[in-house]
This record gives sequence, structure tokens and C-alpha cells, in this order.
Amino acid sequence: MSDSKNSTCDEQAFNQFFKSHAKLLRSYLYYKFGDLDQAEDIVQDSFIKLWNNCAKVPLDKAKSYVYTIATNLGISIARHQQVKFKHQNYITQRKSDVTNESPEFVMLEKEYMEKLKKAIADLPDRQREVFLLSRIDKKTYREIAELSNVSVKAIEKLMHKALLTLRKKIGNI
Amino acid sequence: MLDDKKDDIFLSRWINGGLSPEELNEFKSHPEYHHYAKIMAGADALELKTYDVDNALNNIKSNKKNSLKKNTKPVIKLWPALAVAASIAILFGFFFFKSNDSFTTSYGEQLAVILPDGSEMILNAKSEAIFNKNDWKNNRVISLEGEAYFKVKKGSKFTVTTTNGDVTVLGTEFNVQSQSTYFEALCYEGKVNVNSGKENTILTAGKGYRKIARTSSENWVFEALEPSWISNTSSFKSVPLQYVFKELEDQYNITINSNGIDIETIYTGTFPNDNIEVALKTVFSTLGLQYKLLQDQKTVVLDR
Repeated sequence: MSDSKNSTCDEQAFNQFFKSHAKLLRSYLYYKFGDLDQAEDIVQDSFIKLWNNCAKVPLDKAKSYVYTIATNLGISIARHQQVKFKHQNYITQRKSDVTNESPEFVMLEKEYMEKLKKAIADLPDRQREVFLLSRIDKKTYREIAELSNVSVKAIEKLMHKALLTLRKKIGNI
Repeated sequence: MLDDKKDDIFLSRWINGGLSPEELNEFKSHPEYHHYAKIMAGADALELKTYDVDNALNNIKSNKKNSLKKNTKPVIKLWPALAVAASIAILFGFFFFKSNDSFTTSYGEQLAVILPDGSEMILNAKSEAIFNKNDWKNNRVISLEGEAYFKVKKGSKFTVTTTNGDVTVLGTEFNVQSQSTYFEALCYEGKVNVNSGKENTILTAGKGYRKIARTSSENWVFEALEPSWISNTSSFKSVPLQYVFKELEDQYNITINSNGIDIETIYTGTFPNDNIEVALKTVFSTLGLQYKLLQDQKTVVLDR
């Protein structure tokens, strides 16, 4: 992201910026508001806004700018429709992990995975957000803390709680 | 340790590889360990539906022009909203495209206005300023009735027009007062050009210009850094009494019955703009006049 022009109006810089931030923003919005398709729409709208206002937003402010806009859009949509966290068709199991196993084991695992996904969907919002950013997007606690402007310690506590909650939900399979 | 209720980040540290070898070994022999290990194995095998970044970027490119028009809701739902949106758009149109912007203050009010180029204008009580904001960049002209203080950003010519004359500057701080037959301009910083009828006067910082009715204009020097009315005090220096009364009336929304008073008496002094008792007392006692405020709190008459 070392762009000498320091402006999001530069198409090259904008593309670069989009490619390095869109994916995580999409995940972040999805975990926060529960709907992946909607998250993708919000990402699109936020970046269009950034482009339209590029003259006013220098590159080093652009990240917090799109995150703020996206979060606000998400909140205003969520206010109108209470979305339950949707995991069907959005979160899947990596294919490579189920090969080379006996069919019985695959079945059991499938059952377990469904239960796990259900339990994650039922987590309290903040716990789920932190848990998924860490597990699916492989973000460090520090990175997650920066996204939501809280301390690393707070993230660690949420993560710990998320695991305790999941353990309770899943029971002994 | 897991069972230690005080350790509220134990599992986070475990995931992060932040446990000491001893802690890890102890945890591994804990009956709960394999449950957590399974959750983690399961969670780490999860992935999100893939995101086609390039496709998304292309979508943005093609949508950029008609910006946020796209809506995920079905079109049919938009129809009732469309009628509302249209009327709102028309209403807003009036505000946004109306070329003239006008600001008015009532009795005793002050109003600070940031002009389109960042220049500041502070309107004193009972004043009105009108300017064309669409053409502001090329044509900085304000038409003023009443009194206002200007802090002008450097740039093209900046003109305040009044019925009594024009004041022109290039970037400075100045005060203009124009009511009926009273015209006054004070320059606080930089240089201003005052044009009143045939007369053309250049004021430098700390100089004042005044023309009352048909008398000849006068110039003087002052030391204040900004007009006293900004800090809620009206001040006068050798001003005919009628204009002092006018200011009292504008600040307090009262009527002064000047029957039996020589309104051409020259007055020098100040009065506060936020305390009517003190203000009236200050003005009238210096003139050696008895006054009273009638029941309605609106009319002042001489008490003889």
C-alpha cells in the first residue's frame, strides 16, 4: 500500500486498496450482521461511497472510512430487519478435510460439524464475531482488537468465553 | 488452568499457543481437553463461501456512476417510496438550487455563518445578509442590511454591498453597519476599501469610517481587536442618539418613545446586550433623563 499519490482517486491505488481490504470487511460485516449476501452489498456500497468521495479521503484514512460507513449501513439495515445469523450455504467445511475417511466417520463428522455450526450461529454476537475472525479469517487477536477498537485483552476474554459457550452447547458427542 | 475461574483467557492462550509446556501438558490430561480439541479442529476446518474479489471490484466500477441506486429490495416495494422521494427531492431542490442564500437575525440575536469559502460572518441583531452561493467562488458579494463582522479568507475580491455603499476587501477582518441613513465600516485587519456614493476611502487596520445621513463622512482610529457587540456590548462614539435608540430597540425588541428628547444629541458610551435594566439605565442616566418601562415590557417612555 505504498502509493505516493496518497489518494484513493487514483484508480490503481483504489483497486489495490479494495483488493487488500474488501474480503476482511465482508467477513467482518457478515459475522456482525449475520447475512453474507447483504454483507457483500454493503461492501459494494461502502466502496462506491469511498470512490465518490475520494477527493476528501486520503488513503491512510480510507480504511476507517469504509469500516465506519459499512458498519453504519449494517446497523441501519439491521434496525429494520432482525437478522438471525445465517450459516447455511455460507459456511462450509473444507473439502480436503473429509477425504480418506471411512463413510461412518464422515457421517459422524458431518453430524458434528452441523452441530458445531449451529452452536456458532447461536453464540452471542460479539463472541461469534471474534471467534470467526480468528478461526476462519485467521486474524490475530491484535488485528481483531484493532478492527473493533477494543483491547487485545477484551478479545482474549471473548474468545475464551466463546469456547466455553460452544463446549456447553455441543455437549458430549 | 481451565478450572481456575480467575483465568478468563486460558482457552485464548491455548488457541494462540500461549500456554507454557507445563500448562499444556496439564491441560492435555484434563477430561475436557479432547472436547475442546475437537471444537477447534472442527472450527479450523470451516471456511466461508469464496469471495470473487475481482468480480466485486468490477461490479463497483460499473456501479460507480449511478452510485448508490442499487437496492437489494424488490423494485415493487420502491413505488410508494418513490412518490415520497420525488416530493422530498423537489423540496430539497428548492433549498439546494435556490441560488440565493439568506440569513436573518431577529431582536437580540447573533448568528455566525461560515461562508462557502470558509470565511466567517457574524450577524448582529436585526440584520439580514444575502449572497449567491452557487457563484460564490468567482463572485464573493454579500448584500447586507444591518450589522455584521467579517473574517475573510484570502482569495478573490470580497464585497459587502449595502444601500449606503460598498465595502471591498481581499482578505481581512472588518465590521460593516448599515441602517437607514447610518453607514459605518471598521477595519480590524488588512485593508478595506469603502465606497459610499462618490466617495472612496481606504481603511487600514484600526481605522474606522462613518457617514451619517447627509453629513460629511468622518474617519477615526481605534484599538479594539474585534467589535464589542461580539462580546455582547454595544458601544458608541459620538453618535446621534437616534441610532443609539435604534440599537437598543434592535437588541431588546422594545420601542422607545422619543417624544421630547433631542434625538440628534451626540452620545458616547456603551451598553450591554444581555441585560435590559442595565442597558436602559446606562443610556438614560448619562443623558440625565428619567425613564420607565411600561407594563408590556416593550415600550420605554420618558418619566416626567
